[in-house]
Amino acid sequence: MASRLRLTLPSDPCFLSVVRVAVGELGAIYGLSDEERIEITLAVDEALANVIRHAYKSCYDREIEFECFVDGEQMEFTLLDQGEAPDPEKICGKPMDDCSLSGRGTHLIKAIMDEMSYEKVSGGNQLKLVKRLPGAKAGNPESDAGKH
Amino acid sequence: MNLASGSWGFERAQPAGERLYPSQRRMHMERQLEFSTRSDRDAVIVDVAGQIDLGTSPALRKSLLESLNGTQRLAINLQAVKYIDSSGIASLLEVLQEARKSTKRVILFGVTGSVLKVLQLTRLTGVFEIRETELQALDA
Repeated sequence: MASRLRLTLPSDPCFLSVVRVAVGELGAIYGLSDEERIEITLAVDEALANVIRHAYKSCYDREIEFECFVDGEQMEFTLLDQGEAPDPEKICGKPMDDCSLSGRGTHLIKAIMDEMSYEKVSGGNQLKLVKRLPGAKAGNPESDAGKH
Repeated sequence: MNLASGSWGFERAQPAGERLYPSQRRMHMERQLEFSTRSDRDAVIVDVAGQIDLGTSPALRKSLLESLNGTQRLAINLQAVKYIDSSGIASLLEVLQEARKSTKRVILFGVTGSVLKVLQLTRLTGVFEIRETELQALDA
């Protein structure tokens, strides 16, 4: 059974924990392991933090539209903002063994998610993250109950 | 819990441009992350508890740098940290880099769960000194 969760949240770091809880719980419903839940929560959180810091230049009074769509195959996260478009060179992510103080967020997202794509759309900047579910063909929250 | 279709937004209780009042934000951040400092032998120990993210990492960074000023050895207890993101890692790295400028030591202990996972994903487990327990951190 497919599920869709939509949030419109302020670009305020206070609200990141709300999304983390939602994503973590969705992962549990769809049978992700504890480790996988930690990873997807981190990736989504990093993506939101990037929007706050870079697209909105740490302005806390803007809006981010967040959606998670889950079917039997994958979890697809979409973030939409109306801030500054990302610099394509900057979204390549830092090498992981660099001790620099910034730039790890994007690399973490790429390391965790199966797909990551950016697109300029009529509503603003759209970032899509996809994580394929384990045992995708059998994915069903009711049959997976009790696995976690 | 029926998640077939659900959406909600946070209604604006305040005019556009105003969200959380500064006092509300501060209270929320204090609930999200707590830290306290103590001394043992020649070390300063900072016990951290809660979630380290974009909102809370600046305060932690400030506290850790202040604690580093007063010691040659800073031990950071992360046992009670439930979540850390790249901004939290950056804060720890900045403290480490500051320590190295004056040959001070920064030792992490109680690194488990999601904190260990993030350090592994960022390949920083070999960059930090990490010990399992406080005793090992103090004896290092």
